[in-house]
Amino acid sequence: MPNDALRDSQAEKRWLDALAKGDPNALGGIYEMYGDRIFRYTYRMLGNRSDAEDATSETFLRVLRRSSELRADGAFRTWLFRIARNLCIDKLRQHKLLELPADAQYSGSEERTTLRVTVQQALQDLPIEYRDPLVLCDLEDMPAREAAEVLKISVPALKSRLYRGRRALKDKLGAAMEIRR
Amino acid sequence: MNDVYRKLVDLYAGQELTEELEAELEAVALTDPELKTDMLTMRATVEALRSEPAPEFTEESYQRVLMRLYAKGVEAQRSPDPTHLQLHLPIQG
Repeated sequence: MPNDALRDSQAEKRWLDALAKGDPNALGGIYEMYGDRIFRYTYRMLGNRSDAEDATSETFLRVLRRSSELRADGAFRTWLFRIARNLCIDKLRQHKLLELPADAQYSGSEERTTLRVTVQQALQDLPIEYRDPLVLCDLEDMPAREAAEVLKISVPALKSRLYRGRRALKDKLGAAMEIRR
Repeated sequence: MNDVYRKLVDLYAGQELTEELEAELEAVALTDPELKTDMLTMRATVEALRSEPAPEFTEESYQRVLMRLYAKGVEAQRSPDPTHLQLHLPIQG
């Protein structure tokens, strides 16, 4: 195990033990470790900062409420992402969030900016069963086995959705992809 | 295009093929324009997706999330830095 991963794993175990003992600093420690990743994931799923902040806070609130279920055996991160995902799905059902994020900021040349906005928009337009694997595997760089556990599906099913999702994204991007060739 | 090539293109797009298989597929694509187009557009799609900039978790967002936790009665204090990141100054005097 690389040193960083080992250190993170030890820190995670320490904070989870502390949480189980009712240490008031524990949730802060877990938030320091995972807040950034959960925020990024929820932002990419929901497409705007405010909803992502809301889903992030609710995710950590649920960690606290369900701390009796916690296990410091490496499954915590999967469990955390699963909570965040369920919250995102609830929010998407509530709001049908399909419009472009109002606060999105992109940099670079006009052509690249256009492409990024297009990719972001196309991603938001994809059905959730395709968006999920693309966000977890291609954007969050999560290993397929772990992403499959988050989504509660088999690895072959995840790969199938990932490949179909990429093809659906390609179809939506159509014209922009032609420009790049 | 048959299903086998379609699956190979899916793997090619995500750079999951071995170097040998990738070279073989590229060689076949030289004489198959439909395959070549699919390979190029699929790989460009995955590259465009993977080059999407990560949303920035700003200090303002960090604090707003903490405020929302406080508002719900949670004591989520900013944890002290782990000891290996703390500066230890020599005692002077």
